Amino acid sequence: MRVYTVPTIIGAASLALATMISSPGSAAELRTNINADPSMVDPITYSELISGDILMNIYEGFVGLDKDGNVVPALATGWKAHDDNLGFRFELRKGVKFHSGRDFTAKDVKYTFEQLLIPGNKGGLNSEYLDGIVGADAVKEGKTTTLEGVKAVDEHTLDVRFTSPDVLFPIYPFFFMDSGIVAEHGADWATKASAGTGPFKFVAWKRGQEVQLAAHKDYWDGSPKTEGVRFLVVPSGDTAVSMYEAGELDLVYADQGTIRRILKDDQFEGQRITAPAAQIRYLGMNQTQYEPFKDIRVRQAVCIAFDRDAMAKGLYGGAAFPLYGQVTPGVAGYNPDLKPIPYDPDTAKKLLAEAGYPGGKGLPPIKVTSTEPNKNDIAYFASQLKDVLGMPVEVEVVERGSHIKKMNAGEVAFFPWGWSAGYPDALYFLSQVWYGPSKYNRSRWQNDDFDKLIEESQKTADEKSRYALYNKAEQILLDDWGTCPTTVRMQVALKKPYVSGVNLIPFRFLPFNEVAVNR
Amino acid sequence: MVGYAMRRILGLVAVWFIAVLLTFIAVQFVPGDPILALLSDRSGDPVLEARLRAEYGLDRALWVQFLDYLGNIANGTFGLSFRFAGTPVIDVIAGGLTISPVLALVSIAIAVPLGVSLGVFVAIRQNTWADTLVILILVAGISVPNFAMAAFLVYLFSIKLGLVPVAGWGGADQLILPVTILVIPPTAYIARLTRTYMLEVLQQDYIRTARAKGVRERLVIYRHALRNTLVPLLTTIGIIFGGLLSGTFVVETIFNIPGLGRMAIESIFARDYPVTMSIVLLFTVFYSLINLIIDLLYAALDPRIRLDAGES
Repeated sequence: MRVYTVPTIIGAASLALATMISSPGSAAELRTNINADPSMVDPITYSELISGDILMNIYEGFVGLDKDGNVVPALATGWKAHDDNLGFRFELRKGVKFHSGRDFTAKDVKYTFEQLLIPGNKGGLNSEYLDGIVGADAVKEGKTTTLEGVKAVDEHTLDVRFTSPDVLFPIYPFFFMDSGIVAEHGADWATKASAGTGPFKFVAWKRGQEVQLAAHKDYWDGSPKTEGVRFLVVPSGDTAVSMYEAGELDLVYADQGTIRRILKDDQFEGQRITAPAAQIRYLGMNQTQYEPFKDIRVRQAVCIAFDRDAMAKGLYGGAAFPLYGQVTPGVAGYNPDLKPIPYDPDTAKKLLAEAGYPGGKGLPPIKVTSTEPNKNDIAYFASQLKDVLGMPVEVEVVERGSHIKKMNAGEVAFFPWGWSAGYPDALYFLSQVWYGPSKYNRSRWQNDDFDKLIEESQKTADEKSRYALYNKAEQILLDDWGTCPTTVRMQVALKKPYVSGVNLIPFRFLPFNEVAVNR
Repeated sequence: MVGYAMRRILGLVAVWFIAVLLTFIAVQFVPGDPILALLSDRSGDPVLEARLRAEYGLDRALWVQFLDYLGNIANGTFGLSFRFAGTPVIDVIAGGLTISPVLALVSIAIAVPLGVSLGVFVAIRQNTWADTLVILILVAGISVPNFAMAAFLVYLFSIKLGLVPVAGWGGADQLILPVTILVIPPTAYIARLTRTYMLEVLQQDYIRTARAKGVRERLVIYRHALRNTLVPLLTTIGIIFGGLLSGTFVVETIFNIPGLGRMAIESIFARDYPVTMSIVLLFTVFYSLINLIIDLLYAALDPRIRLDAGES
């Protein structure tokens, strides 16, 4: 009766397979993670973060950033404002080669701008930066495909004209593309060819698996130090960290869910890199939706009734720090001298009583609303405001798309939200989130003096005076308690000791051309 | 037999149509608007919103959209993906099309012989320490959730021992852990069922007769007892298969396998309805075909349950 044996199929098969372990990726290639497929890999429809992480290694604009976050010339070597301040003349870099081998010239810039504006092309994020150019509307409406306000003076000189001053135009993060690419590869070139001047060329996108880039040896700023970059699609943050531990990834950009684990685990000592994110966070108080918010004392009471340090430690596992203004560190125009906002329950109670709501009595019920990823934040706000002020706050978790639409329409009364900078200048935060006419002024706070300062700064080319205007405007916003700044998120990444040259700045990673991998 | 099969296949087409209709209705009730998800921060722009709505045909009556969707299934594109603008759904899912079914098939191919052998092994050792031990392990195999098991195995075999990769797809070594995770619960389930059926069968008169005739014990077990155990077991395999297919959703996400299961989850979060609907349809087709095959096998194994018994 000993004939019955449990088959050992699995054991045998596992052993056999385990011996044929392959090692993917060549020694000098950088392997890093992205948490989903990019939505697109072309510079025209580009409109989301993951695509941006990839495309910034393939494409370049007038300027780039250095490791301290300063703007440095890239494809433009210099520029000069026109005398009427309505435009610029750019000197473009000579000797720059596209991945195709063609030379980069002024007509490629003009071509890129036109492609962004032509309606059928579904121009993404970068098309918004072109609104002020003469003739942009005509192209957007489909009347012409030639952008009147942009002229190639010669191969390396470009003239741009605006309808109103836009001093930040040179630092907008454009992705200039090869104007010959469509003729060569057809309209669906984006997944077949590479059309940039950047340090890496697009090689392949295997959906659900990886995006592969190879070094552009003729890169104008010197050949990259790696053979290429592999962006592996890893939706689960925990899986990404495990892959890193097992040596399957060289560099990991941590997601919110794994930061706590990374910061606590001693084995990652010396492998962590951190940098504040260029993202303001605030608690929006819409005065048109909740009557008591019209009283500055109520707004102040709300803003000092929660503890920013406790939030940073408790809610974000230490990967955050308090924010006292509406510009984040590392973004030009940041004011390091702002007065800290205290956690002061006693004063908060007093203010609320002075406003006619002692102990929260008489306050109508209100909901603090946000999306699933922010549910801990709203739970904290609600419990603090109830405990400290007796405010009748309820939490409400909603779906993202409709929430954004409602916030844009000014229909959400009370919400924690954020705004990430698209270019390295404080104007991005101040003009988009707090400027009266902005479509993203979601809490509908409005102040004429603030608006005037923003309009003036848009015309002020001199950086020092412009930053002074920002600081003044920001102070008006804070003095009026128009917003409750909350925290700044800390970005956390993991880098293997054999990798060098990685720069994490407030705008995520710099392009990987300085990265060397010596596995 | 052929007539029976034909009737069943016709019935399946009706099932598929109902599946398409139900998923179509279900996504209408999902909170959130795909166009708003697409627009994200720019949803303040009503002109852009209207243009996109028209481009995707979402401004038309629901029944027109449904007919449109049927047409897109018929022409093989399954419509256009919302998230990957302008890309046909079939191109989005092409890479993962075979992955989940293959994972499920490989797992069942391992789980059935393994589970049956284990079941027989313990059935003929009823109430011995070996029986108790194996049953204990089997119960654990069914009870431990697959994501917990996965985390443990990855920690042990990938991170500590470095034997197999943590995640990924393409190499044979990358199959080992996910398949192991998928195999454990159905193996345990099949083993327990086999044990129960076997114990029941072993008490039947014909087994006693066989033994009395002096048939060797090995033959009694394998020819007489096991064969009769297989019939009821077969029906449960169809159900187990459904569990395996949904198991691939979890396993593919944990092990970062670009199969249909992971895509389904991503498409739900991205409000990419055309992709979600197509994957649901494909899973329905696959699951119903497997069950058809099992029913046909069943009829072949046990002549008593052929529906068109009149022919025989």
